[in-house]
Amino acid sequence: MLVSWDWLKQYLDLDVSEAEVCDRLTLAGLNFDGSSTVDNDRCLDLEVTSNRPDWLGHIGIAREVGVLFDLDLKVPSADISKVSTGGACSKIVQIEDEEFCPRYIARSITGVTIGDSPAWMVNRLRTIGIPTINNVVDATNYVLMEIGQPLHAFDMDKLTGDTVRVRKAEHDEKFLAIDHREYLLSTDDYVIADKNGAVALAGVMGGKETEVTEMTSDLLIEAAQFAALPVRTTSRRLKLKSDSSYRFERGVDPEMIDWASRRCCELIVDTAGGEVCEGHVYAGSQPSARKSVTLRLSQIPRILGIDVYQPEVRRILERLGNEVTQQSEKAITVIPASWRRDIEREVDLVEEVARIHGYDQIPEHAGVSLSASHQSDLDRVRNKIRMGMLGMGFDETLTRSIVSDIWSKAFQGWSLAEPLTTSMPMVKGEDRLRVSLIPSLLGARRNNEKFSYTHIDLYEIAKVYLPKPKALPDERYMVGITSGRDFFELKGVIEGLVGMLNPNVKINTIPYTDPIFAEGQGAHLTINSTTLGYIGVVCDKARKAFGLQQPATVAELDLGALMKLAVLIPQHQDFSTHPAMNRDLNLIVDEDVSWSKLQDISYSAGGDLVEVVTFQEIFRDPKKDGPGKKRVLFTVTLQAYDRTLTGEEADATIAQILAACDKETGAKLLA
Amino acid sequence: MSLNDFIKQLDDLVEAASTRFEHAINSVDQEVLEETRIEYLGAKSGKLKEVQKGLGKVAKEDKPVAGKRFNEVKTRLEELFQSAADAITGGGGKKGKVEALDVTLPGRRPRLGHIHPITQTIDELKDIMGRLGFSAVEGPEIEDDWHNFEALNIPLEHPARDPLDNFYLNVASTGTGGGNQLMRSQTSTVQIRVMENEKPPIRIVSLGRVYRPDEIDATHYAMFHQIEGLLVDTNVTMADLKYVLRLFASSYLGHDVEIRFRPSFFPFTEPSVEVDMRWQDTWLEFGGAGMVDPNVLKSVGYDPEEVTGFAFGLGVERLCMRRHGINDIRYLYDSNTKFLAQF
Repeated sequence: MLVSWDWLKQYLDLDVSEAEVCDRLTLAGLNFDGSSTVDNDRCLDLEVTSNRPDWLGHIGIAREVGVLFDLDLKVPSADISKVSTGGACSKIVQIEDEEFCPRYIARSITGVTIGDSPAWMVNRLRTIGIPTINNVVDATNYVLMEIGQPLHAFDMDKLTGDTVRVRKAEHDEKFLAIDHREYLLSTDDYVIADKNGAVALAGVMGGKETEVTEMTSDLLIEAAQFAALPVRTTSRRLKLKSDSSYRFERGVDPEMIDWASRRCCELIVDTAGGEVCEGHVYAGSQPSARKSVTLRLSQIPRILGIDVYQPEVRRILERLGNEVTQQSEKAITVIPASWRRDIEREVDLVEEVARIHGYDQIPEHAGVSLSASHQSDLDRVRNKIRMGMLGMGFDETLTRSIVSDIWSKAFQGWSLAEPLTTSMPMVKGEDRLRVSLIPSLLGARRNNEKFSYTHIDLYEIAKVYLPKPKALPDERYMVGITSGRDFFELKGVIEGLVGMLNPNVKINTIPYTDPIFAEGQGAHLTINSTTLGYIGVVCDKARKAFGLQQPATVAELDLGALMKLAVLIPQHQDFSTHPAMNRDLNLIVDEDVSWSKLQDISYSAGGDLVEVVTFQEIFRDPKKDGPGKKRVLFTVTLQAYDRTLTGEEADATIAQILAACDKETGAKLLA
Repeated sequence: MSLNDFIKQLDDLVEAASTRFEHAINSVDQEVLEETRIEYLGAKSGKLKEVQKGLGKVAKEDKPVAGKRFNEVKTRLEELFQSAADAITGGGGKKGKVEALDVTLPGRRPRLGHIHPITQTIDELKDIMGRLGFSAVEGPEIEDDWHNFEALNIPLEHPARDPLDNFYLNVASTGTGGGNQLMRSQTSTVQIRVMENEKPPIRIVSLGRVYRPDEIDATHYAMFHQIEGLLVDTNVTMADLKYVLRLFASSYLGHDVEIRFRPSFFPFTEPSVEVDMRWQDTWLEFGGAGMVDPNVLKSVGYDPEEVTGFAFGLGVERLCMRRHGINDIRYLYDSNTKFLAQF
């Protein structure tokens, strides 16, 4: 709300500096956002919260200043008895929907002379950036900015028929506004209509057909109340905002509508001449009686933590326009001011007292009692993962949860269901809730490749949103990873990560086919047959689709699965202090014998003496071994818990392993 | 000269030379080494040359033994010299050309990753609140009307519910009873979920991603992070709120900080305030706060006559950007490793 300093002073004998007023207003809830000099006046920019429509006029702000500096407010009387004649307003007003328009006051003025407004009015309007049009339109704007009540002046001669109707717009009804643009209305919009059609978009803007021009001599002055929600809907849909719609969306003071109407007529007659018809039209109902609110004084310390002297409480509430109807030692009952429809409850009065008494009176050394707090397991696991990824050279990134349709379908390992969509995109073309972090991370790789960075190793811990029929979606935290390293390096990162959370867990890797993975280079990772995640090399086609030049590997792990396996407080396990013995085995096997098969056999055949079976390398020598064969070199570490192993024991164990490998896979020891 | 005397001379020589070469190694000085070499192996007046003269005086029949012994000692001294030279130059050096270790060459650094500045900020805020007894909780990012609006005292006609101000989901009748689903516009939703399931006292911080349609530019992003504190108990007042916020601000900024309340309006708190903190002689906007609105307490089944509570909320991005001097919010979500590697 822009405020003219000169204008403000009209309502108060104000003998304090602008700076002091702005400071106090800020601490009372009207945040001062800056000021500027306009001609000989000062323009103050005050931020008004949505619950205070009464601050959208100079009188409302002057009232607040009056409370803060204990000054009396002088509101113009808006007495039109001297300029009115006995004539009646020539139109009938019909309200089709009182929910939308609870009341409508019409006054008519005859014999005006359109011209320029007086300098004082022009100056004040100019200070707050309202363009001046002519003495009639300026008067309506002046009252709007004085009391926050929108008004509209119609050229009476251009209104056809004898009825002004507040009604719903018809489907596809056309309306030409005073901004000279034509709007296509829907049945959600409300209009003011005469016999020929819409003459104003109710609460938003007047019509071109009936606007006041130099030729105008008779006026119909509209002062009404319109419901907030439909006005906002119309204004939003048509992208047509006005000072009027802004105020109706926040609510006008129903008891000051008539005052505003009279004040506007008074100013018009003052500046444009003419006579006001004494018989005005009041359509709709009278504002309902305001309900009293009682403040128990004990609630002030209970909520604010401080005491406020009882006479001060009363002074504050009365100055703010609340009428005290009852007072005892323990409580004070008021009828809230008509412009404060937001005061309905005791706590609302507590806030008023706090605001004016000053929040600076509340101490900041209260002494809250101690309380235990704990770190959640989720946080512990996430922190461990972050530390691990940091140590393994990965940068953490954050990417948007809402992605394009193409990205939403780029990897569907977690759900094949159609991704959820938002009613509007987050950025152009992106309106799908992602079901995987992988596409976003590949997008991040591309962004970095543009600058040809060599190491683009990124991960993100964020949610994916898997649709569930008839319920809120399944939101799951994932750890998405992308790297320029090869499959086994990335697999090693995952093994490292899992090992850090639980060294005793074995990850099973099963070949997995997905369009994003190169053929035969994708895998499904499981632990105890529940899914841990997916890993793979990005195929050429997908790389092309993501605009990637360099090779990329990706993986995505379900954080829930990591949570399940994580051992947050490791327990000591006794270990052997006797020497271990390593035996290298070099086996010739068929190509289709997997390493994990040989490893499993070694463990089970070797028994308790096998400490660990470690893969070394694979190589092939078709000349010596024949086609379709490979050599697998690995090390078996043997150790007994209670003794030093003898060579014979070790030989026997290795022999068992070799026999079992031969039996189950046909493996032969390289001679 | 007897054979024994000659051998004794050789043995003494080896022993003395050992000590001297040891000394040269310890001095790590090529010059000392060279002096030692000349002292023992010098062609004209080296001590070995000196001893060699005694060889001629040994009895003829003892000469083969003495000569063999002499050669062994000569080899031994040469070895002593070579190993001393290796030790001083870093070893592995070949005769005649000593390869020097340039200790100023860069080390082979393991590559380290970086933790996102938003995560770091959240961790720090959670940590501070944890020390004040607030436990961190999280909730769903997709919410229903009830948790995002209704229970938070945001009525149907409130502008915050406008379809253009929220990411509603295009879901047909969902059967959750809550009506529309949307990406949550605030983390206060988590407070409702916690209060619905637990009895006071409640002392939590809720945090996470929130979503509001906003044209993305240097200062706006349609996705951001919030952190909210909530304390509900008997006898909680605004003075407690001010105290906790002052401790919070002091912990975050690392020194004593003054707190200021300015009246404001939020549907879920009454009274509502904006919180400023005084930092380096200017007032900085910190976030919104207030006493939990009695309607909110009622909506979760608490009795506002029995308990009171305070709540406060802050935007994580703003704190993070100010702390690290980041001037464009888009950097936070661009994944540029040049940006990420700075933190």
